[in-house]
Amino acid sequence: MARAAGVTVFAVVMTERHLDEKVALQLGRAGADKVLSCEGPGLGAPPLDLTHGAALYAAVERIPPLLVLFPAGGAGAQLGPGLASRLGGAFAASADLELGEAATPLADGIGRIFVRRWRGDRSSYRRLDPVELERPVVAVLPAGGAFVERGSSDVEVEIITCVAPTKLGVSEIASEVDEHAAASLASILVVVDPAVGAEALAKLSAAAPADVTVVDAVAAASAIAMAVPRIVVTVGGRPSPVSGTPRSRIGAVLANGDAAARSPRAATDVVLRMGAGGATDELLGELAASLSALVGGEKGKRA
Amino acid sequence: MNIVVCLHAPPPDPDGAGIGRDDAFALTQALALAGGPHTVTAVLAGTSHESGPLQRALIAGANRAVRIGGEDYASVDFHTLGQALAAGVKKIGADLVLTGARSDDEGLGAVPASTARSLGFPFIATIEELAAAGPRAVEVVVRGGGRKRRLRVELPAVLSIVAPPPGATLRGDRTANPREVELLTLADPETTVVRRRTELLGKPEPASRGAEEVTSAKAFVAALTRR
Repeated sequence: MARAAGVTVFAVVMTERHLDEKVALQLGRAGADKVLSCEGPGLGAPPLDLTHGAALYAAVERIPPLLVLFPAGGAGAQLGPGLASRLGGAFAASADLELGEAATPLADGIGRIFVRRWRGDRSSYRRLDPVELERPVVAVLPAGGAFVERGSSDVEVEIITCVAPTKLGVSEIASEVDEHAAASLASILVVVDPAVGAEALAKLSAAAPADVTVVDAVAAASAIAMAVPRIVVTVGGRPSPVSGTPRSRIGAVLANGDAAARSPRAATDVVLRMGAGGATDELLGELAASLSALVGGEKGKRA
Repeated sequence: MNIVVCLHAPPPDPDGAGIGRDDAFALTQALALAGGPHTVTAVLAGTSHESGPLQRALIAGANRAVRIGGEDYASVDFHTLGQALAAGVKKIGADLVLTGARSDDEGLGAVPASTARSLGFPFIATIEELAAAGPRAVEVVVRGGGRKRRLRVELPAVLSIVAPPPGATLRGDRTANPREVELLTLADPETTVVRRRTELLGKPEPASRGAEEVTSAKAFVAALTRR
């Protein structure tokens, strides 16, 4: 998309020590034209606006950018709003990119990148054009799939030495592995209402291929609150906790008597009703067997 | 400790709770910290028709509820709303500012960051738990980078909170709290609220896409992966 639009892609990395050359090469192969490596004490820790925001702004200010994109899964939710605020830009918490023609075209052969984000009622989307807005757009993109090589390993790395803030105001008391970390990065997320039964969760989890993450709607609620999946399937009466992007698809598997799950944050695209007895074994088995097709269909769509 | 909870008027919904999920949880967390020398003030920028969440806050036990009156805040961007809330918070005075991580409508999560920037306070997004840690600090739990961390945060600070399911239930008795919603205007010449406009561009946009009902798992998957 960047090539078609004739724009340069900078990758920004936060690191405590000198950037590993392998990481820089991988970023180059992924399509980055240049890597900005922000190096400083504390920057290797999980990001917070408080600890990383100033360093990120220092790096971004050097460019200055048309678009700042975060991958789904944490850093965008922490750093994106603060960066948008510092830049005076627009913010899209879950967005798609679109290449198109603007009303006032640029030079021949140069496309325009738009950012799509939901309107408040999720009934339609807004298309933001950073060029027309004359201010940058900060956006969190949906979770992607496997690494795709689009560039070369010939990438320029610029090191930005960051000094630690004199007064941080935050200290870590305890830290543990986040058991639901994978859910926040999931591209295809199946959220099972515990009221449907533990067997349903176990059955779907066991059948889920590597690209599908199945979670308990209650246990993983906080972890998935900021997830940006491409496909969300809810099983049971709970509405989808996440809306995804305008291109995301949301499916609901409901008990027969239930009305379509309502959520202010997500509009359901597809509804499948379970039998009168609730989550029938047969239907859950059929759904479990279909999960791999969900992956196949999504890969085909991205290709 | 003065705790200010910034609320947002949710979209009209006859079946709704009248207050956003994350906002309700932020309020319950603030009220759990309150007591003794701590006070809780609920703040909302909007019209009198949008002050429902402030009434809910008074019912739940907030010490004060303040509506920042002025322009049609429903149509301004997060920079403007953040500046307006920050101007109100400065007048009220706060050590800790809590907000819902995302509103139930736009759901961008950017207003808290803008409020923090306008106040000059540190900001931490999407916290899950909150506890007092002395008179000038709180402990929070936040996820990120594959870790779930408990942090001690010195005040003042702005924290946005994610609600666990099924969300917080605000209880209380309106008759037990005789206070009324106060009106705060930003007519102070020192307060400059810069109105910005989000430009809507591009081609005609699609209407609501609606829900398609299917009868088999195969059709369900096909509909979800349709080009």
